[in-house]
Amino acid sequence: MSPRDVVAELRAARVTAPVELRERVRLVAAAEPAPPRRLLPRRRWLVALVPVAAAAAAAGVVLTRPSHTNSVLHGQAVERAAAPRPVPPQSATLGKLAVPSSTTRVQRYGASLALRVANPAQVSDAVKRALHVVASLGGYPVSVHVSSAGSAGSGELVLKVPRSHVQQAIARLSQLGTIVGEQVDVQDLQGGINATDRTIARLQRQLAELRAEPQTDAITRQIAALTARIAGLQRARASTIRSAHYATIQLSISTRTVARPHHHGHGPLHGLGVAFRWIGIGLVYGLALGAPLVLVAALLWLATRALRRRREDALLSRR
Amino acid sequence: MRRVTSFTQAAEAHLDDVYGYLAWFTGDRGTAEDLAAETFERALRLWHRFDPGRGSARTWLCQLARTVALDHFRSERRRLRREQLAAVDERFDERLADGLSPELEEALRGLSAGEREVLALRVLLDLDASTAARVLGISATNCTTRLNRALRKLEEALDVAA
Repeated sequence: MSPRDVVAELRAARVTAPVELRERVRLVAAAEPAPPRRLLPRRRWLVALVPVAAAAAAAGVVLTRPSHTNSVLHGQAVERAAAPRPVPPQSATLGKLAVPSSTTRVQRYGASLALRVANPAQVSDAVKRALHVVASLGGYPVSVHVSSAGSAGSGELVLKVPRSHVQQAIARLSQLGTIVGEQVDVQDLQGGINATDRTIARLQRQLAELRAEPQTDAITRQIAALTARIAGLQRARASTIRSAHYATIQLSISTRTVARPHHHGHGPLHGLGVAFRWIGIGLVYGLALGAPLVLVAALLWLATRALRRRREDALLSRR
Repeated sequence: MRRVTSFTQAAEAHLDDVYGYLAWFTGDRGTAEDLAAETFERALRLWHRFDPGRGSARTWLCQLARTVALDHFRSERRRLRREQLAAVDERFDERLADGLSPELEEALRGLSAGEREVLALRVLLDLDASTAARVLGISATNCTTRLNRALRKLEEALDVAA
């Protein structure tokens, strides 16, 4: 018998389930509940939901991104918190922070002024004019540093101006360029001077009492000590008042543009890009940590499958 | 192929196929009856997992039937070991199928369960190689090799008988 005949005869053979079995299966099938089939199988639901979830996540990232306006305002706020404070160019002869000095109390007055000019030549010119302004008001420069390199230039001046003319000095210096920052520091010294005066008066009373007593060597030494102490306090008082007579103005003139707040406004897909970058980082970490585990799991699965097949073959090799 | 939409329809349509497959696989119609009934009971419990997009109901039922049969073989082997009964020939007391010549039926009984299984799937149920391979859990090439080996053994057995 040829193989084709064998196959033909095998194909002709039919195995029909006996009636008893058919009845058993019908009884089994009769117990079938009538659950409505899903419109989509579970896997297709997943396939459909994944893009929807991804789109929702992307929309969330994009919509929760800080707006352009907010980030700019935030940058300005940060810049304002730092000194020097930017002010509108030529907005006033005095900046908003200008504090008038008191004429009745002793104060230490300090001011910082940052100006911007167009080019190095204007830096040099502004420095000259600043020195002229200070001199005309009875002040003097403590230090002057001017430098230029290419199209950039800067000047750093520390100026002393009589406190009575400090307002005028600041007003005139502000006109030398565009104000990009200013700072005013006022320290009241009157309280310390008053305390020193009281101490001197007390010591002088003690000195007068000592001079009224019979002069012994001990009394003489005490008088000398008190006299020296009173003289020292008076010198310190005079020095304090003298130093407070002049206000210190630190003037910065520069051609450099004001440091703009970092521009956080990005394109509409920036948030999505950030999200994808973090997802990528997560994937790299996951891959690095999970790859060995996946490899071991795959090897175990292959070994288990090979073992199962071998056992099945052994089981089915029986007749 | 007929599209099956309910378990009842699937059971009606494929009962003979499952039963025939099990009869050839086990070599015993009585055992095949029990295993077929068990297969459909299990199929009813697992029917919610059946996905028509991944294969026909007949293929799915054959896969279930094979699992049931393998469980049976394992338990039978354990039982035989316990009882130290080596001979299993006494089970073959019925005809495997209608329309087979006595020589071919005898040759069929001389095959191993694995060889009869691949004959049942490829010849009796007329599954293509890839579908039969999926039921068996092997590659299509391996399935074809098994089929050729089984047919060659049948041919040799028939030649000897002649």
